Amino acid sequence: MITCKEVATLLASDQVQSQIWWKRMEIRLHLAMCGMCSRLAGQLEQLRSAARQTREENEADAGLEDRLIRRLSRR
Amino acid sequence: MTPAIPITEAFLDRLRQRDPEALAEAVNEHARALYRAARAFGFAEPEAEDLVQDVFTTFLEKLDGFEGRSLLRTWLFGILHRKTLERRRASMIQDRTDAIEDVLESRFDERGNWSRPPADLERLFLSKELGKLIRVCMDGLPASQREAFVLREVEELETGEICKILDVSATNFGVLIHRARGRLRDCLESKGWSRS
Repeated sequence: MITCKEVATLLASDQVQSQIWWKRMEIRLHLAMCGMCSRLAGQLEQLRSAARQTREENEADAGLEDRLIRRLSRR
Repeated sequence: MTPAIPITEAFLDRLRQRDPEALAEAVNEHARALYRAARAFGFAEPEAEDLVQDVFTTFLEKLDGFEGRSLLRTWLFGILHRKTLERRRASMIQDRTDAIEDVLESRFDERGNWSRPPADLERLFLSKELGKLIRVCMDGLPASQREAFVLREVEELETGEICKILDVSATNFGVLIHRARGRLRDCLESKGWSRS
């Protein structure tokens, strides 16, 4: 039977989808029954949405492309 | 994320002939995402813009080596990755000496059951502080883990493309993203996520 550690490792390393079908099924069943592992899955999802929140403040100002094209064209 | 479009030989020829419209097309299509990633890798605004310019300059200089089968985006992000490593030599040393021990490892007993379960993060994740906290925690990641995390979770690239960009195997990418997430979770939990 699959352990919490195995499920957590596969979840955190993005390897669930690359498992064969019966293994994926085993992981789904485990997540349905294990509160800790499903909490980890939720936590990883929250981490993802938090990371996406950083996009906005890292956006360039509207003039980025024009400045780059001007400088690159001079070369 | 804009879907990645394979680059055509005709477009490459236009770039080789320094067609201003082709150059503008490449810049307009990709500069913004490259800049955003450079900022998320930890470069300040002026340096991030300089880095993106450096990426396009290198790309134009090395056009002959470009394989038309690749995606232009993958090629440009690959250059961004190499330029990032050049400018972050100190961080690379930090990466090499990064402890082998797995962050997640310490959370399980010998039978593979949770000994230190994940915290219930909902309360803090709903707060406005979250964005600020995750940025602080991302600053504490070794460079390669940070790149893997940003490309996957912020830029939403597929694993196969990230492996090409970072020049790592799928297994190595799994280790990088696993460690990055473990460190971020530990860092966020230490900053107030309740352990219930």
